[in-house]
Amino acid sequence: MRFFLFIFTQTLRNIRHSWGVQLMTLFTVILSVLIFSFFYLIYSNMLQAGEKFGEELRLTVYLQSPLNPADQKEFKEKVAAFGKVDKINFITSEQAFQRLAKQLGNDRDVLADLDPAFLPFSAEIYPHKDISNLTRIKEFADYLKNLPGVQKVQYGQAWVERFSHFVKLLRFIVIISGTLLILTTMFMVSSTLRLTLYARQDELKVLRYLGATNSYIKGPVLIEGFALGLFGSSLGLGALFFLFQWIKNHFSSAGFLNLFELRFLPMTNSAIILLGSIMLCTLGSLLSIRRLLKR
Amino acid sequence: MLETLNESHSASDHPALVEIVKVTKIYPPDVVALRNVSLSAAKGELIFLTGPSGAGKTTLLKLLCRQEIPTKGLIEVDGNDLTTLSDNAIQNLRQRIGVAYQDFKLLPRLSVFQNIAMPMEVQFRSPRDIRNRVTELMEKLGIREKQHKPAGKLSRGEQQRVAIARAAANSPLLLLADEPTGNLDAATTGLVMALFQELNENGSTIIIATHDESIYQGTNHRKFELQQGELF
Repeated sequence: MRFFLFIFTQTLRNIRHSWGVQLMTLFTVILSVLIFSFFYLIYSNMLQAGEKFGEELRLTVYLQSPLNPADQKEFKEKVAAFGKVDKINFITSEQAFQRLAKQLGNDRDVLADLDPAFLPFSAEIYPHKDISNLTRIKEFADYLKNLPGVQKVQYGQAWVERFSHFVKLLRFIVIISGTLLILTTMFMVSSTLRLTLYARQDELKVLRYLGATNSYIKGPVLIEGFALGLFGSSLGLGALFFLFQWIKNHFSSAGFLNLFELRFLPMTNSAIILLGSIMLCTLGSLLSIRRLLKR
Repeated sequence: MLETLNESHSASDHPALVEIVKVTKIYPPDVVALRNVSLSAAKGELIFLTGPSGAGKTTLLKLLCRQEIPTKGLIEVDGNDLTTLSDNAIQNLRQRIGVAYQDFKLLPRLSVFQNIAMPMEVQFRSPRDIRNRVTELMEKLGIREKQHKPAGKLSRGEQQRVAIARAAANSPLLLLADEPTGNLDAATTGLVMALFQELNENGSTIIIATHDESIYQGTNHRKFELQQGELF
C-alpha cells in the first residue's frame, strides 16, 4: 500500500514539474485516437450499410420467352445449383408493365399506346447472404447470364461496384491511419517521456545513489504512460461521440445519410480502442525508461 | 566539540564493517588515484581520512558506495564484495549507506524537506516517520525555517547541511562524509559533528574525509592520511 502511495505521489510530482510537455503529449494521444476512431466509425457504418444493401440486393434476369410452371421449376433448380437463394419471383410482361406505369405516376400516359409485351418476362432473384459480396455476385450474374433462355442480367452493378470500392478504400484508410497513428502515438509518448526523463537525469542519478530500485524509478513513469493512454483515449472517444452526435443531429436527414441508420462504435470496439491506447502508451513509457536505465 | 568526539565509544572489539584490501584505482588512461590501499573499519567506528586535495579521499569514498569499482583489490561492506554485487544488491546496500557528497548532489527544484526525505521515501518509510525524522534533522542542523525553500536557492553552507541531513536520514549503517564542514563556520561545524557523534553512538560507522584539522585534532579516533593515492 505504502509502495503505491509513494509511486503515486512521485508520479504527481513528476507531472507537476513537466506539465507543459505532458499536456502536449495528451493532446497528441487525444488527436490520434480521434482520427483513428473517426475513420473506423465511418468504416463500420459503411460495412453496416453494405450489409443492409446486401440484404435488399436482387438480380433481375430478363428471359427471351415466358416460362410455364414446369419451366419455372426447372429454372429455379438451375439457379439453386449455383448457391442458396432466398426467393425467386417471376414477373410477367403485364406485371412489369403495371409496375412501370405505377413508377411513372402522372406520366403514365406515355405508355398509353404500347403493348405490355414489349417488356420481357423476367425473374427477380434475391440471393442469400452467402453470395452477397461483390465477387460472388459477379460470378452469380455470369452464371445466370449463361443459363439457356437468359437475355440479360441486371443488378445495379455499377453502384454495387462503386460502393464495394469505397468500402475497400475506407478499410485501406483505417489500416494505414491506424498503423501510422499507432506508431506516431508510441513514438510521441516514448519521446516525450524520454525528454522529461532526460531533464530529470540528475534526479535519477541521485535516486540511484540513494538506493532507489528500478521499480521505484520505473513505477511513476509507467503510471504516467498509463494515465496518458487512459485520459487521452477517453477524451478522444468522448470528442468522437460529441462529433458523432452533432453529425447525426445535423445531417441524418440528408439524402445519403438517410439511407441507413448511423450508429456509434459498439461498446466492445470502444473498449478495445481504450485498452489498446493504454497499452501503447504504457509500452511507450516502458521503452523510454528502459533505454535510460541502460545508460 | 572535540571533547564530545573524545567521548565516542571505542569500536575496536566490534567486527569489521568495511574491509579494503590492497585496492588500486586507476582512471584511464593512467591516472593513479589510489595505490595498494588497505583499511578496515569496525562496526560503530568513526574514522578520519585526511590529506591534501587530490590525495584520493573522494575516490576512496566513491569506491565504498560503489559509485566506482576498483582496478585491483577487494572491497567489502557488511560482508558484501562490492565488485561482484548484482544491481539489486547494490541498490539494497546503498539504502544502508548515507553519503554526504562534497558537491552535495541535491535536487535544486525540490524543497529542503523533500531533499532530506528522499532516502526515506526510497525505502517506503511511513509519511509520519519521514516527517518526524526530517523535522528532527532540520532542527539539529539549524535549517528548519528553510524547509519549504528550494535547495537551489540556499547558500552553500545551508546546502551542505541539507546534504548531511539527507545522508543521516536513515540512520545508516555506514555514513560517508566528504569534506562535510568545508563551507561551514565554527558554530555550524559543531552542530554537524554533534550529529555525527550521535549517529556513531547509535551504531553507525562513519568515515569522514577532511582536511579540516579542527574536527579531528585532539580526538582519539583513528586517522589515516592519504598522500598521492597511498595510505599512511
